[in-house]
Amino acid sequence: MRVWLTPVVWIASLCALAAWLPTMTPLFSWVQPGTDNLIYNRDSFYVLLQSHIWLVLASATIGTLVAVSAGIFATRPAGRDFLPLVSQIASIGQTVPPVALLALAVPVMGFGEKPTLFALVLYGLLPILRNTLTGLNGINPAVLESAKGMGMSSAQVLLKVELPLAGRVILAGIRTSVTINIATAAIGSTIGARTLGDPVIAGLVNGNTAYVLQGAILIGLLALATDSLFEAIERTWARAFAV
Amino acid sequence: MLPNRVLSNRVLSNRVVLALALAAFGCVWLLNLGVVQPNRIVTGTGYGLYAATGWLGAGIVSSLLLVVVVLATRPVHKRYEVLAALLTVALMTLPLLLEVFALHKLPTDSAYARIGIGAGFWCLAFFLALILLETLGQLRASRRFQLSTVLLIVAGWWLCASREGLSSLSLIREYTNRADQFAQALAVHLSLSLSAVAISAVLAFALALAMVRRERMRRPLLGLVSFMQTIPSLALFGLLIAPLGALSAAFPFLQALGIRGIGWAPALLALIAYSLLPMVRNTYVALIEVPESVVDAGRGMGMSERQIFMQVKLPLALPVIIEGVRITTIQAIGLTAVAALIGAGGFGTFIFQGLGQAAMDLVLLGALPTVFLALAADAILSALKFKEASR
Amino acid sequence: MIELKGVTRRFGDAVAVDDIDLTIETGEVCVLVGSSGCGKSTTLRMINRLLPSTSGEILVDGEDINKVDPEALRLNMGYAIQSTGLFPHWTVARNIGVVPNLLKWPARKRDERVNELLILLGLDPATDAIKYPHQLSGGQAQRVGVARALAGDPNILLMDEPFGALDAITRENLQQEMLRIQRQLNKTTVFVTHDIDEALKLATRIAVMDQGRIIQHDTPEAILRRPASAFVENLIGKGDRGLKLLALRTVGELMEGHSQPREPEPGADGLNEADSLRFALSVMVWENTLQLPVYNGAGEEVGTVKREHLLQGGA
Repeated sequence: MRVWLTPVVWIASLCALAAWLPTMTPLFSWVQPGTDNLIYNRDSFYVLLQSHIWLVLASATIGTLVAVSAGIFATRPAGRDFLPLVSQIASIGQTVPPVALLALAVPVMGFGEKPTLFALVLYGLLPILRNTLTGLNGINPAVLESAKGMGMSSAQVLLKVELPLAGRVILAGIRTSVTINIATAAIGSTIGARTLGDPVIAGLVNGNTAYVLQGAILIGLLALATDSLFEAIERTWARAFAV
Repeated sequence: MLPNRVLSNRVLSNRVVLALALAAFGCVWLLNLGVVQPNRIVTGTGYGLYAATGWLGAGIVSSLLLVVVVLATRPVHKRYEVLAALLTVALMTLPLLLEVFALHKLPTDSAYARIGIGAGFWCLAFFLALILLETLGQLRASRRFQLSTVLLIVAGWWLCASREGLSSLSLIREYTNRADQFAQALAVHLSLSLSAVAISAVLAFALALAMVRRERMRRPLLGLVSFMQTIPSLALFGLLIAPLGALSAAFPFLQALGIRGIGWAPALLALIAYSLLPMVRNTYVALIEVPESVVDAGRGMGMSERQIFMQVKLPLALPVIIEGVRITTIQAIGLTAVAALIGAGGFGTFIFQGLGQAAMDLVLLGALPTVFLALAADAILSALKFKEASR
Repeated sequence: MIELKGVTRRFGDAVAVDDIDLTIETGEVCVLVGSSGCGKSTTLRMINRLLPSTSGEILVDGEDINKVDPEALRLNMGYAIQSTGLFPHWTVARNIGVVPNLLKWPARKRDERVNELLILLGLDPATDAIKYPHQLSGGQAQRVGVARALAGDPNILLMDEPFGALDAITRENLQQEMLRIQRQLNKTTVFVTHDIDEALKLATRIAVMDQGRIIQHDTPEAILRRPASAFVENLIGKGDRGLKLLALRTVGELMEGHSQPREPEPGADGLNEADSLRFALSVMVWENTLQLPVYNGAGEEVGTVKREHLLQGGA
């Protein structure tokens, strides 16, 4: 249970700060003297936080489903032919900067949440795909051979042996993907998605450091909270399988 | 019998190439190949393959894909060699398709009219590139061969782009209007990301050495650098503005150096902070994983510790260190684009200006070179790593 | 009973198994022996359809295995391999219970079976059952592997060099256990090894393979006495053939029995009924004696064995 303490503390402080930032005017008036607009007020921080989390969560869910299915397909006998190409796509794709992908989504899909979600899904599935392939290919062939030799069907081998054994590596891929996507979603503000990047961008455009700081602090906390959550999940997972 | 059929099936048809060719065929006929815009802001009218390039263009593209399908499914002699040659030429000359489009559809009466690239064209290029990738994989082509193929294609696009026929392409219009700014953005982008890589390389080397010498420092140092990696870029850029702004206000000489809350200074700082994790981790792992037996052998032959480090450990660690540099460089090129938000310059400026003005081709003018730089850095550093590792 | 009729397996142009015929009777331990690449593992893996045969027919109890669902076929064949293939994310108990689980045995029956097997293979049900594979020694892991193969109470046991990666002493121990378990369970066993001594020790019949063909298929004694070709002769080793023959028989078979068991003389050294003749000869040479008393399991003297008999009739 102790592993869950850190993420709980981070998440609590994130929520608390999102609630109390508007009351901290004295602090921000010190940062940004000479203006009355000290607290970003176009949207409440809660709404921004919610929308940010929704974007990341949706993209992670879709990305995981697509990437894990693709990884499974490419490692089955029927899909083996596609394995070299799929793994090359996964590694070359990660060379493309996420911000460029975000920008390239706009000419195709216009402004708003949709292109942001599209870019997040597309970019986010690459690390998951690569790790799924690494995880599934990294299983000791003797284990698979004996699973088959015991009389397990292909589906049983996949569900009972392959996925649990590759799970940790896949989970690490999801963690990387979510970390990148939290950052990319923040930049999504520039293409019209409503995220915690909004105050930062607004602050940069208007030269209001207080706005920038409010957004930046919340984004940073969200990232740290998520990261510690994954840390806890990974530890629990490791303990469950003692590997 | 079953195994024989599977075996001969694999010889007979390449399902990967087949699937990609069919996908390309679908995309190129269903999506818009190009767009005609009356000026740079207004959304234009899209044209499909046939509408854009007439029977000739549609025929050439379709028969190219048909030939690919035939080669994928029939046991033609040396078919992968033929496919590789065919696809290289096709990709090199692909922009001519847009030239034909411009010739057909560009209104001659307007100086502002321009043509844009449609999703169909991008998809065609993308799928052809994937088929080429698969073909080169089947040929087990050497690194050098792959690189020359890519260079050929880039040269082809370069030549096509500099032809008069494509001067109405909106991307090229945006470029010609901003040739000076483009050169400057390139210089800023490269110098920012490369200096961040260079500085972090030196720093990371020192940190990794410290970690090798003192095991106690490993956990806190790795913890610190991975903590920084977790903070999203926009947040870190934002968090650096206030302290740097305050410093610059307090010390005029810093301001004279150009160090302010926005601009290159916070960008460089943040880039270095991000570069540290991959750099430190790889350098440390590389140094620690030199086999003890090799070091012992060196000692046994009477080498000094310094000689062992310079002649044994460092050369053996180099490929892994270069891998760290590769990851860092790619990452820095991408993050420099984000740094344009805090006024650091570079290609990100075009991206965010374009987004602000809803001028998609300006966005492309920023995004495409960024992607290109990252891919080029990847190619160069991978080649270097490969060369070091194979020594 | 397992019958292979004209079975061939090709990998591309290479022929791994070349038109072999082999019949393995029920309760028999058939050891396939040969150097690496001779096709012995390929043959084994065709029996449980991990590899399809290119041509020919394999019958188990008269039924063509290609007409049976492969999973059902394998559930009735225990399978143990050299690298154990234990599932690293499961405990020893769960590893052993995998086939009973696949067969949907009730939990109680399964747990009893797992306990029974742990004891049969000399593992501790209390401490070893909850361990994970990476916490086991090589010998223990192999014991678990064998236990897992036996768990579903299969009629047939397929073993692919199960003791190949173990050190000499552990291997020797496990071979003894195998013999003991086989006496108890009487499973039809196909065992693959490259070690002729292991083959001589465990087999009721040996099939010597070379380049995808079966060179000789016979009892260990017949293989030693009448090797079919120079290859087999080489494999069994010309030099110590006599000693190997001695190793096949026990002291009990050759001794002159007393009419009635006697109390042993105090302090006298002797042999056990179950010791091999090879062992007896070694003791005699070492102690430089012409004869030795033989004791049974209860410690009573049941006969004597003489060196001259050993030399004349042993081999």
